[in-house]
Amino acid sequence: MKKLNRRDFMKLTAGSGCAFAAGLGYSQSAFAGSLKLQAGGKDFSPTTGKERQAIPTACWQCVTRDSMIGYVEDGRLVKLEGHPDSIRTLGKLCAKGQAGINQVYFPDRILHPMKRAGKRGEHKWKRISWDEALDLIVSKLKPLRDAGTPELFMYQYGRHKASQGATMYDFMQAYGTGTIGNHTSVCEAAKWVGQESLWGGMYDNWDYDNTDYVVIFGSNQFETHTNHIPTSQRLIRAKVDRGVPLYVFDVRLTNTAAKADQWIPIKVGHDGLVMLAMCNVIMNEKLYRKDHFKFMRVSEDYKASVDEKIAAVKKNVANYTPEFAEKHSGVPADTIRKIARGFAKAKSACLVTYRGTVMHYHGADQERAAMLLSAITNNLDRPGGRVMGVGAGWKHPSSPKAKVHKSLDVKDGFPGEAAYPTHHVSHQVLPMIKDGNAGRPKVYWWSCYNPGFINGDNNELQSILKDESIMPFLITSTIVYDESSQYADLILPDVTYLERWDWEDMVSANQIAEFYIRQPLVKPLGESRCQGDVWPELAKRMGFELAYSSKEDFVRQSCEMTPGVREAGGFEYMKKHGVWHDPKAKPNYGFYETKVDVSGDGVILDEKTGVYWNWKKAGVNSEAEAKSQGYLGTKGAKKAYVAQNIDGTAYLAYPPNTKFVKAGYLDFYSDNFADKGFPAFPAYTPIPEHQKMADDELNLTTYKVAVHTHSRTAHCKWLTEIKHDNPGWINTKTAEARGIKNGDKIKVYNDMGEITTTAYVTEGIIPGVIAISHHLGRKHSGVYGSGQNSPIPGGAAADPDVKNIWWKKHGTHPNTIIPNSSDPISGTQRWMDTVVRVAKV
Amino acid sequence: MGTDWNRVAVNAESRRSIYGMLTLVFREEPSEALINELRGPRLSGAFSEIDLELGDSFYNDPVSTVADQLALEFSHLFIGPGPHISPHESIFTEVDGGSGELWGTKTVEVKKFIETTGLGYASRFTGLPDHISVELEFMEKLTEWEAEKWMEMDRISAEYCLSIQRMFLQQHLLTWIPKFCNAVITQAATPFYREMAELTINFLELEQQSL
Repeated sequence: MKKLNRRDFMKLTAGSGCAFAAGLGYSQSAFAGSLKLQAGGKDFSPTTGKERQAIPTACWQCVTRDSMIGYVEDGRLVKLEGHPDSIRTLGKLCAKGQAGINQVYFPDRILHPMKRAGKRGEHKWKRISWDEALDLIVSKLKPLRDAGTPELFMYQYGRHKASQGATMYDFMQAYGTGTIGNHTSVCEAAKWVGQESLWGGMYDNWDYDNTDYVVIFGSNQFETHTNHIPTSQRLIRAKVDRGVPLYVFDVRLTNTAAKADQWIPIKVGHDGLVMLAMCNVIMNEKLYRKDHFKFMRVSEDYKASVDEKIAAVKKNVANYTPEFAEKHSGVPADTIRKIARGFAKAKSACLVTYRGTVMHYHGADQERAAMLLSAITNNLDRPGGRVMGVGAGWKHPSSPKAKVHKSLDVKDGFPGEAAYPTHHVSHQVLPMIKDGNAGRPKVYWWSCYNPGFINGDNNELQSILKDESIMPFLITSTIVYDESSQYADLILPDVTYLERWDWEDMVSANQIAEFYIRQPLVKPLGESRCQGDVWPELAKRMGFELAYSSKEDFVRQSCEMTPGVREAGGFEYMKKHGVWHDPKAKPNYGFYETKVDVSGDGVILDEKTGVYWNWKKAGVNSEAEAKSQGYLGTKGAKKAYVAQNIDGTAYLAYPPNTKFVKAGYLDFYSDNFADKGFPAFPAYTPIPEHQKMADDELNLTTYKVAVHTHSRTAHCKWLTEIKHDNPGWINTKTAEARGIKNGDKIKVYNDMGEITTTAYVTEGIIPGVIAISHHLGRKHSGVYGSGQNSPIPGGAAADPDVKNIWWKKHGTHPNTIIPNSSDPISGTQRWMDTVVRVAKV
Repeated sequence: MGTDWNRVAVNAESRRSIYGMLTLVFREEPSEALINELRGPRLSGAFSEIDLELGDSFYNDPVSTVADQLALEFSHLFIGPGPHISPHESIFTEVDGGSGELWGTKTVEVKKFIETTGLGYASRFTGLPDHISVELEFMEKLTEWEAEKWMEMDRISAEYCLSIQRMFLQQHLLTWIPKFCNAVITQAATPFYREMAELTINFLELEQQSL
């Protein structure tokens, strides 16, 4: 045969190609499946040749809970990256998410059940078996249940969502305790309460995919915003691809503000006022859109016409002129006018708020102002606007509930502290237990939570945990020895989220629900055990059964029960693919416009409010009684809400679905608020502490950084290497007045105490403020986070990176000098209202 | 100058055909239908142009006779019983100084490589993962996918696919198939497998130069 060239082969294949086309190929292919070159099939390391598995799972580093792919090499997790098929994340994952590996393999990780051997806080521990640990727990819990006092067992959690929360609540209901605390009041409770008072539900989303104009108050969208990865990339795309204007109101020049068309510095606690001033401009210049007014209630009159409503809104915001707002907020009136006009004239506009806006006195009312601005411009639940979040609606198994089910009243703050604590007052749980007037739990168990660090006045909370006369028996499930677990009587080694099963449901940024799961990437290290596996075991030992045998079983059953997921292939499909969404689903907007059939049995019209409600579902005895009491006068009526009569049409409108009893209107005039002595219509209410400030006093504000979650990441070496210190941001003029130069050691102090840090003197913060991030200053959290090894010997393999720690600083914790102080409306912790003095040390 | 998408696609498609044909040759005994096709006018002319001589009896004997002869030759050369040329990479490749063995280190490497790309082994396929026809079929799949990407004007994917082909060629095919084919050339009793082995060497050399 002669030496062949490409041309020869081309000639040859002109023939052989025909041969194969004629079906003369080999009878059996060696292969199954199809090539997925970029997406990847089985993976192997190009350097070590070790087999890698790519396993779809979900993050837990923050509430966003991104879908992701974990790569496991010979049983060890080596890499995490975004899940390319996720419609939420579009394959992206943030730094925190990628550093999740550090959660599994950090040298101080707790890997065995530990029983306290010395006094609380003495750091003396004895390793015990799981059998002993469970027996010990049962010896505490079973007598309470048997005695008909299950409420004396209190459970409090930090991050529990989706099936992690569902399994916990299922167990607690089967056990009988309702004494379950959360952490939401230190997060953003005021935002939800403000929203619930209006559109019934909560959790807004921001439709960046379709928006034409974005205004952000009090949120660092590009670094730390909730639902960060799904939303930030969409906002960046909106800005870069479509040139969408972005205006950011913030005390600090955040990296979001720096990327905006304009950073508008604003005084602490004045976001709502500026929004009301924007409403003033829009109403006076007739830039409002009438569309949404018919769904709004803006005065006592439920039957006002749209024109009357427009007049009422105009009247209610009349005092909030741009000049008035400028005087108090520091934002120039012309800037307010410019942005108000831009917002109103844009085809669609999106208003974003978060902690900077709402973690204040009357924070819930500031959120109501944001909703008002969105509503009068018809940017509420419309494409491109502020929309109602859409998440996955999973079905799941439920266990039989306990016959006796009771709660201690320690979850919602002291009497009179908060009018509508629909998300509880978690920062006051320990102070209330200390107070004792609402009773004290005999067993207190916390999980994925560090109450002695993350709340205000955290040193005081630690002293409560330490006191055995107040807190007789303490259990914690944790992966790290921290400021709170040091006082526990029993430490249970929790799994990390990368070692456990869950189904997940976080809101989609594109208004289409995404169903996704978390599955173990590696076997749980040491003796760590998922709480979802602990609950069935505990139940069995106490003599009752749960509807699931393990967390995996719970997730499996849920996948087979949930419409859509089930048809797609259920649990096996989800294990393989990790994510599922209905390919035919359309983005969900404008639910309030749904027309409702009100001809059903028992449906009556309430003349006063215009609400159609089903008296047979409201717990009243007769139609006559229902009519006599009226919708608002019937205790169970809101559960019986059917529709809102608007101009003769029955709309779904905005049903009540929390503790707020309301009609189907957006209650901008709120009887609920008025009845409790709060402004019925969104208003500017100065923060009392700020009104009384002396000339030399400053506002202390706190903030998040891009690479840390509140108290759950200091032991992640990659993140702590990036961010291990938190100097105080202080304006040049403010610093100069105190003789402070950049890098100087400073003390920040008030009646509660004193902390020290260094000064970061910058023009990137308004005068009169000091801002300190809230993640650092750890006393315990392992060698990376606190500089000292955990008193409990870690069971994980020694980490050679320990010798590479080059940083000496571990930051300071501002919560030490921030009181636990609640918004009287929502019970939210008022992080941003603290007053301090600052001096050079 | 812009890319001639069609030209590069046709080139990939041509390579796919060669890999497909060689897969067929080494996978199993040739069927009568295949023999008819190979000695039919479309291919015989092409073979003649490249001096690929399959011998008079291949073209002139009854097709059933040719099929029987080639089936015997296939077994004798590649299956046994008795001494044969085991068509598996792990046999032809020494690892750490050790002699080759079936389902050896190289078998696992090939399997891993292939599974990296998303393909798996069909449950009905009973051969070993590093059989010559498996490696050739894998290249056929890659070139087919590459051709599709060129037609979709997806340069990034096509070039990525080429890089995978290059890796597989260098790490596997070229390390043993020429050696294997030379053994076939030496031991084959019929021109068919001798010529096909030579064609394979020729083609892989060209692949080495041009990829």
